[in-house]
Amino acid sequence: MKKERTRKLLGLSYWLSLPPRHRFISLARVIVLLFIITIVLVPFYISFLYSIKSHSDISLNRLAWPKHPTLENYARVIKENKYVAIGFKNSILTTIPTTLILLFTTSMASYVLARNNTPFYKMMYTIFISGILVPFQCIMLPLYMNIYNLGLVSTNLGFILARSGFQVSISVLSITGFIKGIPRELEQAASIDGCGKIRTFWRIVFPLMTPINVTQMVLNTLFVWNDYSTAVVLLRDDTSRTLPLAQIIYFGENMTELNLAFAFFTLAMIPILILYLSTQRYIVSGIMSGAVKG
Amino acid sequence: MKMISTRTARKRKLTTYAVREHGANLLFMLPAFLLFAFVVLVPFFQSVPISFTDKKAIFAKSWNYVGIDNYIKLLKNRAFLDTFLNTAHFTLVYIVGANLLGLVLALMIWRSSRFNNVARTLLFMPFTVSLVASTKVWSYVYTDIVSPLFGIPSPLGVSSQVIFGLAVIAMWRDMGYCMLIYIAGLQSIPGEYYEAACVEGANSWHEFRYITLPMLMPAITANVTLLLSWGLRCFDYSQMVLNMKAAKTTAVFVYEWIFGNSRAGVGQASAIILTLVLVVLTNLVNSILRRREVEL
Repeated sequence: MKKERTRKLLGLSYWLSLPPRHRFISLARVIVLLFIITIVLVPFYISFLYSIKSHSDISLNRLAWPKHPTLENYARVIKENKYVAIGFKNSILTTIPTTLILLFTTSMASYVLARNNTPFYKMMYTIFISGILVPFQCIMLPLYMNIYNLGLVSTNLGFILARSGFQVSISVLSITGFIKGIPRELEQAASIDGCGKIRTFWRIVFPLMTPINVTQMVLNTLFVWNDYSTAVVLLRDDTSRTLPLAQIIYFGENMTELNLAFAFFTLAMIPILILYLSTQRYIVSGIMSGAVKG
Repeated sequence: MKMISTRTARKRKLTTYAVREHGANLLFMLPAFLLFAFVVLVPFFQSVPISFTDKKAIFAKSWNYVGIDNYIKLLKNRAFLDTFLNTAHFTLVYIVGANLLGLVLALMIWRSSRFNNVARTLLFMPFTVSLVASTKVWSYVYTDIVSPLFGIPSPLGVSSQVIFGLAVIAMWRDMGYCMLIYIAGLQSIPGEYYEAACVEGANSWHEFRYITLPMLMPAITANVTLLLSWGLRCFDYSQMVLNMKAAKTTAVFVYEWIFGNSRAGVGQASAIILTLVLVVLTNLVNSILRRREVEL
């Protein structure tokens, strides 16, 4: 019934059945929205457009559609700039472990924090959450020194540790909110049947957490993949650069060859856009469900 | 005799149960806590003493405690206060802009339909782009599209407009996030309220003013608080506009003093001031907005 109604909202026959005033409003809404969406997508279009133009095309007229669209820029940027490959390698080797570490550690911690109400657990929750208010700039110097003393500056491991630790607070906040909405009956039934705590969590609660876990994984992937402020402090070596760092440096060195710089930008954006578009259902609903509880 | 033994046995059973229960709980929290302690908690407690020293290079061997000298110096330092003004300016434009745009968009597409779902996906897409790439790409949007279209110079090149130019980029990136939270808020308002208002003869402005807006207060609180804390720690956007004093935010100031100028003590003190401002402002804004929320 509801589905039918939503489908009708788009239908022409539905539109024609509206009184003229509403017909105008609904048409105006669609036009205004299409206009806004076009503006929002302009930067994506620009980076794609500049990346498929040859050098002479881009200096002639930037905005015109190229006479001979070319993928050569992509080939050149990968071949000529070794930091593209290094950046991709480092970004993948840091983003995936960070996301997985956060998935397991924060879902376990949040489960305990959501299911226990004694003062001790409340205090632990407050400690975890208070991290949201600490800006990275406040802790970056001692963190850098500690990581330096462990010999982990400019290593993937150091960056993974820093990024996952920094992401714990916000993940715990959203996951705890989600678990509070899961009824306890299933866990109680499992415990009566003699299922231990650890098994109850992995067999029963963890699968129920899939929506929030997917949302958190994608959001964490976004934050780590796009991170610049942590990377610029901890990754001081050229071979340890992640994509955002490699992009900045490449951009600074290649101001004259915009087409190559934009090919690099677009290349770094593609995996994340694919990830987002393939999981967007979870992201959109995940952010919407977790947000307004607080 | 027998009774006592069963009682102690039961007691022992109870304690082993408690140990197992809490032991498992602690074990579950331990990995996340260790990570959090290593990256946030311990460095935070290390950071406060550093701000009271005259430490210069990061790994300087000798340094003295100088009390609150660094703080006094900073509060008298024109350049530092300017970075705060820049940060405040950026945050204000960014919060107001992203929230208004997000709210308007949410009001247009909060009902679920196929068109609206696609619109949501596309409007949230900028959030997936890194701040670094957004700023670089937008600098070309400004010079190649905005400038010729409106006959104005790129805001990123004019020192009086650079903060506004950066705030527009931040709005573009984060308004989709605000929009999603407002959509969630709008979907949770019971339809009966509007029916009742309609019977009473309310027009759409009245409906918005007396139903939608008060019911949206939790979403507004969430968005404003979140964007306030994102805006105050703005680093990437500002760092991308090189050599422009007017674009410098406090976060960039901290980075430059610790890692660029080798004045770790002063830099750390400015970071502590930033943290204090962030904590106080966030709590203040949060409690003011919370008071305006209506109970259901």
